[in-house]
Amino acid sequence: MIWFAWRQFRFQALVVFGLLVAVALFFIVTGPHLADLYGELKVCKAHGDCDSLTSSLLNTYNKELPFVQALDVIFPALLGMFWGAPLIARELESGTYRLAWTQGVTRSRWVLTKLAVVGGASMLATGLLSWMFTWWADPINTLNASRFGSAVFDTSYIAPIGYAAFAFALGVAAGVLWRRTVPAMATTIAAYVAVRVPFDHFVRPHLLSPVTLAASLKSVGNIGFERTPNGVSFIAGDVKRPNSLVASTSVVGKHGGEVTQQWLRDNCRSLLQLNSPNPGKGGHVTTGIRPKAFTECIDKISASFHEVLLYQPAYRFWTFQWIEMTIYLVIAVLLGALSYWWVRRRFA
Amino acid sequence: MTSALRATDLGKRYGRKWALSSCTLDIPAGHVVGLVGPNGAGKTTLLHLAVGLLAPTTGTLTVLDEKPASSPEQLGRIGFLAQDTPVYPNLTIDTHLHMGAALNPHWDAQLAERRIHDLGLDPSQRAGGLSGGQRAQLALTLAIAKRPSLLLLDEPVASLDPLARREFLATIMEVVAEHEVSVILSSHLVADLERVCDYLVVLAASRVQVNGEIDDLLASHYRLVGTRQAFDHLPDSVHVIEESHVERQTTVTVTSVDPILDPAWSVEEMTLEDLVLAYMSQAEEQRRDLVRAKGGAR
Repeated sequence: MIWFAWRQFRFQALVVFGLLVAVALFFIVTGPHLADLYGELKVCKAHGDCDSLTSSLLNTYNKELPFVQALDVIFPALLGMFWGAPLIARELESGTYRLAWTQGVTRSRWVLTKLAVVGGASMLATGLLSWMFTWWADPINTLNASRFGSAVFDTSYIAPIGYAAFAFALGVAAGVLWRRTVPAMATTIAAYVAVRVPFDHFVRPHLLSPVTLAASLKSVGNIGFERTPNGVSFIAGDVKRPNSLVASTSVVGKHGGEVTQQWLRDNCRSLLQLNSPNPGKGGHVTTGIRPKAFTECIDKISASFHEVLLYQPAYRFWTFQWIEMTIYLVIAVLLGALSYWWVRRRFA
Repeated sequence: MTSALRATDLGKRYGRKWALSSCTLDIPAGHVVGLVGPNGAGKTTLLHLAVGLLAPTTGTLTVLDEKPASSPEQLGRIGFLAQDTPVYPNLTIDTHLHMGAALNPHWDAQLAERRIHDLGLDPSQRAGGLSGGQRAQLALTLAIAKRPSLLLLDEPVASLDPLARREFLATIMEVVAEHEVSVILSSHLVADLERVCDYLVVLAASRVQVNGEIDDLLASHYRLVGTRQAFDHLPDSVHVIEESHVERQTTVTVTSVDPILDPAWSVEEMTLEDLVLAYMSQAEEQRRDLVRAKGGAR
């Protein structure tokens, strides 16, 4: 049965592994160059200013990088669509299930072997792509220092293996429920996106209880004021934490409270008076403010407020990779069980 | 003697519609069985139940005294040819034979190769390029090379031209003669069955109307022509299947254990086709009565 599962899958497998070979060639050709640049950069760092070398490293492949990243992002979904969805749906659609399931192999074994062979291949292919990309992009990722960002976290290391298993099992389940390949493929991509995107944004930052950091507003870049319909409001950017994942930021009073309009009216009168005659337009109003009024107000705010940051620190990166991979593997197993159960129940 | 197929109160429902109901059958092994009925009578449902492609809604079913699709061994003992003879269009004939060898416990590779050779087919040809008749022969080869004890064929000749049809049926007869195999063969055409079958099951309106060895059936059914008066005096031992009355003449199809000796009737010869049609129209009549009764109740 393993032989036959492979025989039916051979062509699809060749196409995808052929694509992987092409990507591998690109990495092999360009990877050493990136690594060399990074080596030079390390030597340079010992002496001091290396801005031009840094930008040269980041810019060399800035045209190719988005393509490779995009491929890494959609690769599991493609496997789900082209390997997962047709796996059983095509047999049901073309009627060949009547041939396949009446050979001397039980239905259970047939389904489980197919799931294992093609599902295993999905995880292997995605794992290989992720491993190659992780190796190739390492210098870039080190410089960018945002490993927890989607562009790296979702495309590198081991999490993609979980995504691959999930997408594949999703495709199979959609195929079994639809009994037709094309709607199953559409359902696969739609459901994959509908799970992954909210998960990335809303679930991942809270997978473990985040670490709290209270930072002085002086250490925060990008602070100032913004004109709103009812006056002026205070804005502050995030505290920079390399390679970490920010769950939330808020500006909180040291004794509670927020920087409200009322607070600004009470404490930064000069700031508001100067800017009141120019209503309607939004945006930063730092320009046109007397620097003195601006600085005074920022000082007053900094004395009473600080920025509270909830984040997942860089050292949790691998824990998160493991957690995320495990979660998606578990969902994949559940979906696989659903397909298995449905095939057995619905068709005997 | 083992049963080829034994069903007790077997039923299959799709949504609210019963495709097969109250089916009780015991077909002994060693026959070539014709399963005949109009389109939509439940023939495919019964065969799919028998190979385990469907699970029954009610009742029980054993095939060769085992539950369908219960084990690789059981699956290996049944050769199944599905309607429209599905094969994998992208795979070559050779790969199909490899598949059979890899997936079946008692695969007879020699038999399979010889048959492909005798049919004049090129083993490296893709199945998608075969004609309807060739595809049916390939599918039949796959079923036969399993060395099954029972062959189940679902409308195997329905889509074949007359020549391919004759060749196909001849192959079946050869197989029956060479290997001791029971065959259940469905069709909506009695003429096909008459040539090869020695046992008949008539399925109509989701129910088994009659079943038995064809010789016995023909010996116990009579077509009688007489008067209305004679009809009213038929003994209780005679069971009427179909009746038609025109002025001064009544024609009935009956079944009776004892021969009909009443001189009021003239007894006509009964063909298999007449017999099948009589049961089918009886089923149709009953179905209409049922619909009418339901309408009246409303």
